[in-house]
Amino acid sequence: MAREQALRRSKAGAWNVSPFYAIWRLLTSVRFAIFLIGLLALVSLLGVVLPQVPPNIRNDPSSVGRWLEEQEGKFGPATDFMHQVGLFEVFNAPWFTALVGVLAVAVTVCVCNRFAPIWRTIRYPQKRVPDTYFERARHRADFPTSGDGMALEAVLRRSRYHVERYPDKDAAYLFADRFAWTSLGTFVSHLAIITFIVAGVVSAFTGFESQLFIGEGNSMPVFAENRQFQVELQDAVGRFDAEGRPLDYRSHIVIFDRGTEAKRCTSTVNDPCTYAGYRFSQAAYFGFGAALQVRDVTTGNVIYKETLSLFDTLPSPQVTVRNSDGQVLLDDTLVLDQQVADVYGTLVTLYGQPGPYWFGVRPAGEDSASWELIVFEFAEGDSAARTLIASGEAAVANGLEFTFTGVASNPALLAEGVPLPSGDQGQALVQMHNAVYGSSEASSGRSLDISYVDPSQPPQLYVRGDSLQLQDLQPEESSTIGNYEYTFLGQREFAGIQVKRDRSDKLIWIATGLFLAGIGMNFYLPRRRLWAKITPERTYLAGIAGHMVNFEKEMRQIGNETTRRAKADQIKKE
Amino acid sequence: MAPQPPSDGIIDEHPQRRRTWTGAFRSVVLPILVVAAIGASIWYIDYRPGGAQEGTDDFGVVDISQGADSPSFEAQEGKLAPDFRLETSDGDTVRLSDLRGKGVIINFWATWCTPCRQEMPELVAAYDRYKERGLEILAVNLQENPAKVSSFAGEFGILFPVLLDRDCGVADAYRVTTNCRVIGIPVSFFIDSEGIVRSTFLGPLLGGSSRGGIEQGELDRRIEQILP
Repeated sequence: MAREQALRRSKAGAWNVSPFYAIWRLLTSVRFAIFLIGLLALVSLLGVVLPQVPPNIRNDPSSVGRWLEEQEGKFGPATDFMHQVGLFEVFNAPWFTALVGVLAVAVTVCVCNRFAPIWRTIRYPQKRVPDTYFERARHRADFPTSGDGMALEAVLRRSRYHVERYPDKDAAYLFADRFAWTSLGTFVSHLAIITFIVAGVVSAFTGFESQLFIGEGNSMPVFAENRQFQVELQDAVGRFDAEGRPLDYRSHIVIFDRGTEAKRCTSTVNDPCTYAGYRFSQAAYFGFGAALQVRDVTTGNVIYKETLSLFDTLPSPQVTVRNSDGQVLLDDTLVLDQQVADVYGTLVTLYGQPGPYWFGVRPAGEDSASWELIVFEFAEGDSAARTLIASGEAAVANGLEFTFTGVASNPALLAEGVPLPSGDQGQALVQMHNAVYGSSEASSGRSLDISYVDPSQPPQLYVRGDSLQLQDLQPEESSTIGNYEYTFLGQREFAGIQVKRDRSDKLIWIATGLFLAGIGMNFYLPRRRLWAKITPERTYLAGIAGHMVNFEKEMRQIGNETTRRAKADQIKKE
Repeated sequence: MAPQPPSDGIIDEHPQRRRTWTGAFRSVVLPILVVAAIGASIWYIDYRPGGAQEGTDDFGVVDISQGADSPSFEAQEGKLAPDFRLETSDGDTVRLSDLRGKGVIINFWATWCTPCRQEMPELVAAYDRYKERGLEILAVNLQENPAKVSSFAGEFGILFPVLLDRDCGVADAYRVTTNCRVIGIPVSFFIDSEGIVRSTFLGPLLGGSSRGGIEQGELDRRIEQILP
């Protein structure tokens, strides 16, 4: 014994000089693991509570700088320090990754460190205990021995114990083990934690995400790892209820791999298409697109064919004009194709009136929530109609009554690179009137005020640029100016498709399964080890079980059952 | 033989408590290796051989240098253009070196690329102006569906060969893409009748320098430079 203690002391001395010893002590410390978990929880909370640098500008220092300037309003002089220490990019900070890595290693060290002894208790359990153990074990019980003592063994076996019997000269000894393998539950849980961490690391370093915004009939590339997909949007569908609330968005897409059709599928928000491990999910919908084509009539060649997303809006006033007889001269929603400063307007010829009228709107206040209508008659003399009318009001000028009901909106875009009749390319103001939201399956939506839309009528396209003026072009309708034929191919919808591949998906599922299995083993199937000493007079039980087991109560029940069974066996014999 | 009770009567009721130091390898290095092995396994599963795409036909880069003194795979001005053979959208085959004696513009493009679409009429017009004088244009499309490419070519009146670079081999060789990841298109290589790259231009062949394009006069000058 003295020699063993000396050897241990010698080994302890060796540990103290080992460069790994301090690391090992730290990594095997449960307190350290709990400290790490607590620290990670705290910084994760900071990462959730504090604003974080948006991912799309993370690699752009100038954009990050502007973003930080915005944060100075909240955090004042501390902003720079918080940025330096990574509080605005918690989950991408090197120290966060380092903390997670240390936790992974610590958990792994703990598992490796504790696995062998626990495995030994499963594979080679201690089957005999000294007699003194029956007097001082934490869980123990005793009861009078009935019959030959075989009843206890039978009761234990019926309770799914694995039982071994060791007869001795004055007594018989039993060792019973139940759910021995569930001692591994702790490791299963720890393995789950490691797998979660690895999944996080895998996701952070190998995850792929890309956003596509595609118009119907068009395709966009996805530059995945070492390959390129093309995603073609065949149809984007937005369905709305009568109140304009969205019911469903979906996209019918075709995925091409190396130019060959690989998959044709429908993608929704919750049910994405999958191909080659990539998920293609519906991320956005936009209904106001217009397909415009320009053809050179001298060659017959198409020189421009674009699907324009009309993200902007232009005001469109609803105006009614009556003459003194009450006859309606105009009752329409006007498309304004001219802009002077903050005033939008257009020329209108009224039936039976000599000169043209210029109708325009401008914001009535600082915001564009309310508008006023400008009526300007191109005529000489004081009687010419020139007046300002507030929204919802009417005015009489030059014998005509002008009623300004309100302002709707037209989707619009200042498009670049449009071929102009002069032969150059330039800007053109494109707006779509009477545009309904959605495809043939869709009812009208409420993204814009479209109360003026007549669903029975097709959308109309208006294009105005240098020496270019197209009015009231309906789908498939063309207009030729100079050498160019302009065709409104029709209204098109756009879909935002999120392409994502997260290699950690399966790991997360595996980790979740392991975690639930480990917890289940620990909580619902705790191991019970029971030793019994059976003398002719009394039977002594002692055992070890998990904290959640009321083992002494179970022992008493075993005792009662054993007594009943022994008596029943006795009666049968008699 | 029946087991005997231990002489000291010790029952290990908490085998999961911290164990004694068992050496640097077993206590520290081994756990780190376990973590590394898990990570390496996942990495291998995702990147194992066979996952990468490989060409299935004879098309692609034929010869990179052909006597040029540049060991790199990029088309450099003053150096011989990497030779290649590609299928056209019509099903024919075009080999760059077969066009020796002609001035060649190799234009890398795709239908999803807005500047590519917008410059295509300019290429069509340039071809119309210079084809009689020995200009050939090869429009190399990047991995798109042949039907879509043919439809586009028909609408835009493209009469020069439209080539299908299905595996990005040629685009990678010309450094237009890296592993099919586009660096920038449209890009045009102006190659003279000797097969030497005289100039390159990244951007649309129209719109003038103020819009990132090229002036008409500059385009004509570059074409004149490569004509036989």
